[in-house]
Amino acid sequence: MTRLFDILLLRLRSLFGRSSVERELERELSFHIEQQAEENIARGMSSDDAYAAAKRSLGGVAQIQEECRDMRRTNHIETVWNDLRYAVRTLFRAPVFTIIIVLTLALSIGANSAIFSVIQGVLLRPLPYPRPERLVRIYFQSDSQPKFPMNPNDFRDFRERNRTFESVAGMTRHDVQLSGKGADPVMLRGFVVTAGYFSTLGLKPARGRDFTKDDELAERFHLAILSDHLWRGRFSSDPNIIGRTVTLNAETVTIVGVMPPEMQHPGNNFQAVADGDTVDLWMPFFLYESPNDRGSHYLDVIGRLKPGVTAAQANADLSGVLEQLMKEHTGKGWRIYTIPLYQETVGRSQRMLLVLLAAVGLLLLIACVNAANLLLARSSARVREIAVRSALGAARGRIIRQLLTESVVIALAGASLGTLLALGGVRVLVSFLPADFPRASAIRLDATVFAFTMIVALVTGLLFGLAPALTASRTDLQQSLRESGRSTGGSSRQLRLRNVLVIGETGLASVLLIAAGLMLHSFVNLLRAEPGFDPQQVLTASLSLPYQRYRTVPQRVQFYRQLIANLESLPGVRYAGAATDLPWTGYDGNADGYKIEGRSDEYNQKTTARYHSATPDYFRALGISLVSGRFFDGREDPDGPVVIIVNESMANHYWPGESALGKRISFFSRPHEKDWLQIVGIVRDVKDEPTTTSVRNAFWLPHSQHSDRNLLVAVRSSTDPALLANQFRVAVRQLDPELAVADLRTMTQVAHAALSTERFSLFLVGLFALLALILATFGMYGVISYSVNQRMHEFGLRMALGAKPSDLLRLILGQGLTLSVAGAAIGLLCAAGLTRLLGSLLYGVKATDPLTFAGVALLALATTTLACYLPARRAASADPMHSLRSE
Amino acid sequence: MSKSSDLIQGTLDLLILNTISLQPEHGWAIAKRIQQVSNEVLQVSQGALYPALHRLEQQGWIKSDWRVTEGGRDAKFYTLTRSGRSQLQKELAQWERLSTAVGLVIRLGASA
Repeated sequence: MTRLFDILLLRLRSLFGRSSVERELERELSFHIEQQAEENIARGMSSDDAYAAAKRSLGGVAQIQEECRDMRRTNHIETVWNDLRYAVRTLFRAPVFTIIIVLTLALSIGANSAIFSVIQGVLLRPLPYPRPERLVRIYFQSDSQPKFPMNPNDFRDFRERNRTFESVAGMTRHDVQLSGKGADPVMLRGFVVTAGYFSTLGLKPARGRDFTKDDELAERFHLAILSDHLWRGRFSSDPNIIGRTVTLNAETVTIVGVMPPEMQHPGNNFQAVADGDTVDLWMPFFLYESPNDRGSHYLDVIGRLKPGVTAAQANADLSGVLEQLMKEHTGKGWRIYTIPLYQETVGRSQRMLLVLLAAVGLLLLIACVNAANLLLARSSARVREIAVRSALGAARGRIIRQLLTESVVIALAGASLGTLLALGGVRVLVSFLPADFPRASAIRLDATVFAFTMIVALVTGLLFGLAPALTASRTDLQQSLRESGRSTGGSSRQLRLRNVLVIGETGLASVLLIAAGLMLHSFVNLLRAEPGFDPQQVLTASLSLPYQRYRTVPQRVQFYRQLIANLESLPGVRYAGAATDLPWTGYDGNADGYKIEGRSDEYNQKTTARYHSATPDYFRALGISLVSGRFFDGREDPDGPVVIIVNESMANHYWPGESALGKRISFFSRPHEKDWLQIVGIVRDVKDEPTTTSVRNAFWLPHSQHSDRNLLVAVRSSTDPALLANQFRVAVRQLDPELAVADLRTMTQVAHAALSTERFSLFLVGLFALLALILATFGMYGVISYSVNQRMHEFGLRMALGAKPSDLLRLILGQGLTLSVAGAAIGLLCAAGLTRLLGSLLYGVKATDPLTFAGVALLALATTTLACYLPARRAASADPMHSLRSE
Repeated sequence: MSKSSDLIQGTLDLLILNTISLQPEHGWAIAKRIQQVSNEVLQVSQGALYPALHRLEQQGWIKSDWRVTEGGRDAKFYTLTRSGRSQLQKELAQWERLSTAVGLVIRLGASA
């Protein structure tokens, strides 16, 4: 214990009594010299010789002092502090250098922080529910449907018979119309959920109560739980909200609960809604199908596993139940697919985020190389200073430490500024994010991101400081001091290192440029790809007729028929139509296992298609052209034979080499004559998604024969469709003043939104690539202009010996070109390996697209050559006499 | 002065501790003593001595104070501390082990 105490005292003394400690050391050493000198005199030396010999045998006093300081550990604190002060002073003395290097780093560190905060929020942060690792999504799956919603009767059986879940719950979208007192009616985003939905997620209402199984009975349907935002906004945080009634879809509904603000929608696939705080209210699910109706699938199912159970075990358990169900009922080809909720939620965005992280990491690397290059250039200007310091006794390690401190100070300054940039950048990023981007609401700068930034800054500082520090500290003392009068002094080793750095920088920038080029190419392909419809000049909206006021089929058919007629009579409207789906809006009504006339049951089991119902002018309004046959004419008899229109894919798939017109399909396995649906028209294919080439089979039934209360309306105008918005509202209000118009937007907006993920990642990678190119050009300029300065004398000599300015120009450009060709070549090679990462993010472009690669190589060469041109011209236009004297 | 008399790395500490285990000494005397006692075989590089002394002091093995020498001068004297003494025992034992082992290897090598 006393030893520790003694050590502590000593260190404190070394730290705070520094000058007295130093004085003591001096006295101690001079005592030593005197003692040695005395001995020398005793041996017979003269007094002067004796002292000189004593000093020689001791060695450099300054060095011993420095070493002794090193031995006193507190010295570290002291030196760090000194180094810091010295570093800051040095940096202030070269403000232009400092500003450039700090700004470069701030940009790239800021970009890294911003992207990392997205990754932290979306990928790293746990889902916002208690014990989220036990939450899973449960789907049905077949050969044609990778993720299919569940049938409610099946769901009930799974809920009762499973042995691996604490609870399972289902939900399905059910938007409702809230009638205001005097105000315009609004559409609320709602879900009907089974009992235990909230408790499965691990959440409880903040006020009121949760739904119970009794609430699933049909007569109890008129209940609702509000979201926090709806309660605060629409109901002004009414403390007596529980028990209040509201009019939803023309029915009276009692509010039984309010969820806390933590309630986040876990995402769904059937009629998908974005994750986060995006749902306005929930109502209890009730089962109206008879227990044997196992055909319609619309429940998105979540489950909470019992502790210790894996998703695979749960999958096996549920598969067992499914086998029983398929025996009890007429099942066909279904499997169970259980996936952890986290994986399901972030799976869509993972690859894109990792690509962005890689891109921004490359950018940081380039910034590092650039900073290293600048430091190298500067360290050659500081050769004299460093030589003087080592002559005065600074050990090599000490000088390296000083130089590294400088680079870390630079990096930290860059990081601080970068964090400020990231603060703004994250907001911009989030606002650019696609609307349905999973977990966008969880993105923010927090302590983790801050820690990440600081670590990145430290590593960056060491990374870009190390090479210059090592080179600078290895200078030849004598030579440097002798050359001290000259402006230059860099060794050829330094120049070589700088060349390597510029090559590396050009290579890294080429990789980024190629990635950006590929994504741009892919994006252009997406824009150019024939979508199968014409999104220009189309206004769209969604309507939802309340069941209470539109109970019968004729009411619904009549409403839409009248609305379409009114719309089409408006000036400027060419066609108006409505359907259960618009292209690229994610809705997916599916028909599986329908019968094709004349085919075997086995064949029919594998049939699958998207199905919709549509009014006659729906196709004309969207610009989907007719291939053969006819459109619906609006005179289809509700009780007569049912007709359908199919897309080309379906026609070619089932009736290859013959006309599909007149062919029949049926939803029934033993159809009567009236159960057949006859094909009357074939329309062009519309791509399922703008980002893929796939077109699934699809067919449409006439709305008059297959009515729906909820339709999406499309209006083709001869002018700007946005101008029609108001007339559209008026047209709806004239027919039904209680009806809310939702999702009013143009089809180009829909198409735009469908490409937002691609646009977002292209924008960012493009931005990073541009920054990289600027940095690389800058680095190239630095190296060439440095070497031109070095060789001014040589150039003067050459000129004096008869070289023409154009010769010099060629010489210098050649030097730059060599570097950039080497860099670009390395970059292209690396890119060929790395761009595979992009894989599924590319559309219609191979990851090794030769056009992109060649283009980027040319671009890299052109910019770097440009960077060489200025210094080259300076050399070529210099007066040779002047250059010669510049020595 | 042949090169071979350079101190083996790490043995300087042992020699210093051992030298002042008898009585407190100042730096010059320590260097002198090591040289004399080893029959002039071991030359302490004077440049290395002081950093070593400072290191040992920082580790708490030795402590220093200013005293008057026989010649009437102020000098910094180093004294072995209690923990320094036990450290010395440890290092001595270790040295014994090492030199025995090296001797063994050399003899074995010679007889083979």
